[in-house]
This record gives sequence, C-alpha cells and structure tokens, in this order.
Amino acid sequence: MISVKNLKKNFNDHEVLKGISTEIDKGEKIAIIGPSGSGKSTFLRCLNLLEEPDSGEIWFEDQLITDPRTDINKVREHMGMVFQSFNLFANKTVMDNITLAPVKLGLKTADEAKQSALELLQRVGLTEKADSYPASLSGGQKQRIAIVRSLAMNPKVMLFDEPTSALDPEMVGEVLAVIKDLADSGMTMVIVTHEMGFAREVATRVMFIDEGIIMEENEPVKLFTDPQTQRLKDFLSKVL
Amino acid sequence: MNDISTKFYNAFIVKDRWQLYIQGLGVTIEIAVLAGLIGIVIGCIVALMKLSEPKKGHRHSLWWYIATAYVDIIRGTPSVLQLLIMWFIVFASSNNGVLVASLSFGINSGAYVSEIIRAGILAVDKGQMEAGRSLGLSKAQTMKEIVLPQAFKNVLPPIGNEFITLIKETAIVGYVSLSDLTRVASQISSRTYEAFMPLIGAAVIYFVLIKILTLLLEAFERRLRKSDLR
Ligand SMILES: Nc1ncnc2c1ncn2[C@@H]1O[C@H](COP(=O)(O)OP(=O)(O)OP(=O)(O)O)[C@@H](O)[C@H]1O
Ligand SMILES: [Mg+2]
Repeated sequence: MISVKNLKKNFNDHEVLKGISTEIDKGEKIAIIGPSGSGKSTFLRCLNLLEEPDSGEIWFEDQLITDPRTDINKVREHMGMVFQSFNLFANKTVMDNITLAPVKLGLKTADEAKQSALELLQRVGLTEKADSYPASLSGGQKQRIAIVRSLAMNPKVMLFDEPTSALDPEMVGEVLAVIKDLADSGMTMVIVTHEMGFAREVATRVMFIDEGIIMEENEPVKLFTDPQTQRLKDFLSKVL
Repeated sequence: MNDISTKFYNAFIVKDRWQLYIQGLGVTIEIAVLAGLIGIVIGCIVALMKLSEPKKGHRHSLWWYIATAYVDIIRGTPSVLQLLIMWFIVFASSNNGVLVASLSFGINSGAYVSEIIRAGILAVDKGQMEAGRSLGLSKAQTMKEIVLPQAFKNVLPPIGNEFITLIKETAIVGYVSLSDLTRVASQISSRTYEAFMPLIGAAVIYFVLIKILTLLLEAFERRLRKSDLR
C-alpha cells in the first residue's frame, strides 16, 4: 500500500533521515519506536508530505506521491493523520471540525457528513460534545475527536504521531482503546509511540528507527524479546 | 472667575465658534476613517504578499520584495514628510485635500497594519494549518476556514490601537492647510491671543473620542473572547 525507497531528509545541514526503505501492506499496523530526535516524526510526516523529502520515493497505492505533479491534496484525503498536540480547529465546534473537510472537498453533503459524524462520535462516546468548542474538552476527549475527524474522511491508512504523549496518564487508556478498536477493524496504521506495551499488543510489526535509519524491524514479540543490535538493546533496557 | 468665563466665551461661544470645532472634528474623523479603510485594504494585500513562502531553494517572489520595500520605506520616513510629498509632489494637481490626506495616511497606516496582520497570522498555531492540510484541504481553504478567523481575533486589538494612533496622527494635516480639529483650535487661539481654552478644549474632544472608541473596542474583544470558550 505504501512503499518507501531510500528516503532522505535534511534540516539545513542536519541529516535526519539517511535513507529509509520499507513496504507497508494493507492491514498492517506498524509501530515506530526509537530515541527522541531519531527522526520518527519526520519519517511519519514525510509519508503524507507534511515534510518534503530531499530525495527518495514514496509510493501510495500506484501513485508516486513524491512526484511534484501528483495532486498531494487528493492523496491526503486517503491518509488520516493524528497529531501529538491534537490540532483540533480552535474556531470550530466539534461537529464542524469533523464535517469541514468531507463537505468542503465534496465527498459528502452536509447532511451525510453530519450523520456519519454522529455515528463516529457515538463510537467514541462523545455524542454530547458535538456542539462544544475544543477549548472546553479534556486532552483525551480532544484526541478522540481528532481521530474521529480523520476517520470521517474514510481514509485507507491512519498515521499517528505519539497520540498519547501529551495526555495526562489517566486519559491515555481511553485514547489507546479507540486506536485499538480501529486496529481490530482492519485499518492500516502507522503509529509512532512510546507506549511499548501498546506497540507489543497492537502492532503487527515494530520498526526501531535510530540515527535516521530503520535500525531493526520485526514482529513485536521477536523484536522485544530478541533484539539483534546493541542500539536496540540499549534502548529497550532504558524504556522497558 | 470672570476672566475664565470671558476666555471660554471668546474661545467657544462668540461668533458661534463652537461650530468650527465641530467642523474640525468632522474633518479629523473623515480623514481618519477613510485612511483607516485604505490602510486595512493595503495592509491585507501587503501581508499576503509578504507571507508567500518561497519554495525550497527558490528566491522570494517579486511581490515579496515590493511589499518589503514598501513597509521599509514607510516605516523609515516621517509621516509629515510623506504627507508633504503626497501633497506637493504626487498629487500636486489635485484639489480634493481630504482625499489626498486620507490616501497619504492610509498608505502610511497600511504598512503598520500589514505587519500586525502578518504577526497575527503567524501567531496562529502551525498545527492548525497542518491539520487542515493533512485532511486534504488546500492551503487557501485552510487559510480561509481556519487560520484567518483565528488570526482575526489576534489582530483586532492591535488594529484598534493603530486606528487610535491614526486619529492622533491626522493632527499634522495643518501642514497642508486642512482645517482639522487641531488646526481650528490653533487658529482660534491666534485670533483671540489666548491659547488655553481652545487648545485644552481640542485636547478634551480628542480624549473623549478616543476614550469612547477604546471602550467600544474592549467590549467587542470581550464578546469575541466569550465565543471562544463555550
Ligand atoms: N522543522 C524542523 N527544522 C529543523 N530541525 C528539525 C525540524 N523538525 C525536526 N527537526 C530535527 O530533526 C531531528 C528529528 O526530529 P523528529 O521530530 O523527527 O524526532 P523524533 O524521533 O520524532 O523525536 P521525538 O521522540 O522527540 O518526537 C531532531 O533533531 C529535530 O531537532
Ligand atoms: Mg516526534
């Protein structure tokens, strides 16, 4: 579904991604782990071109999205993204947050969008917040709404960048439950996370990114119990 | 006591002089409002010109250079001089003084307004634009639906301040012989050989006008802020 070939990205003179290649198949749940500053977010943000790669190719289905002629807005309609800091539209109600893009982009009528928004809100137990503004919600509620907002586009893949890192501990569970639910429904997902337990439980493959490359990747049980590289051993000994 | 009332009489009552102050105030307000509108239009356009980011590895657009030069020149020269240049050089043949003065102040104000708007847009969290883009909305759509409405709340207070500055700034139109409130007061004082009453009177009028505006702005801001936190 997504194919990455020798992806490189610099910030000024700082080489952050030094050649990443991987294939992500439909239905896979990839957890990306690694030390702070290793390039996890940069990699994830390259997948929908929020960061522009310096070289390399990214294919989404049969489209080369790194080709400047590709209409990236159209591609992004199929790739949901959830941010660490939620990024709900502060000037819109919860309902408008969810329906804005599907309606503006002509995917749904206002009525259809509202209908499906209500169904999605029900799924995450937040129907009664439809008319609230983001400022009045808790972090956990904001993140569940942000997930719903992405889902309202019927994406083919969901990208999560540390979706629970900005949350108070007591709210982490409610958000992880929603993500797990989504995983069980068959969604293809890429999740940058520091929640090792969650990665182990939900991921079909764990990717350890360090020093701008995929240092090691494997199915979760093997990766966590039998790390091959010294860097991963050191990392795991610190976080587990 | 008698002295004061005579002075008051000479400054405001005799020959219906109070009407002159009102006419002067009218000119002041007319120039300020016209200039304010021109300034906001110019400010919006120039802000957008300055915000257009160059593609990686490319240079700024010609628009960016024009906008930057405009803001630099306006900020780097005295507004009195700008007014004199507009009056005696650029529009020397025009006989609509109020319009020329308004244009001059509007062009001046536009530079400051553009910086206010630019800062107001930049102050909106970058994540808002990214969230919009990640959903497939274009930059223009996200600007219009998400960023600009939020920027509006940021810029309203400083634009109000800019307008208040503008009102006071118009007091220099006496340099080109327009009879605004300040010039009326100074003319009357030279006719009566008594400065206190006309000048203090004019100051009080400016003060009241600006106080009222300030209160209105504060009330409007409170309303905006309330709608934020439902
Ligand atoms: N917009 C940017 N401009 C300059 N440098 C950047 C930018 N974004 C990221 N970097 C740098 O690139 C490196 C990788 O950043 P990135 O955010 O991808 O790390 P990360 O693995 O997600 O870390 P964390 O776990 O802390 O989120 C860091 O050194 C960071 O400072
Ligand atoms: Mg990160």
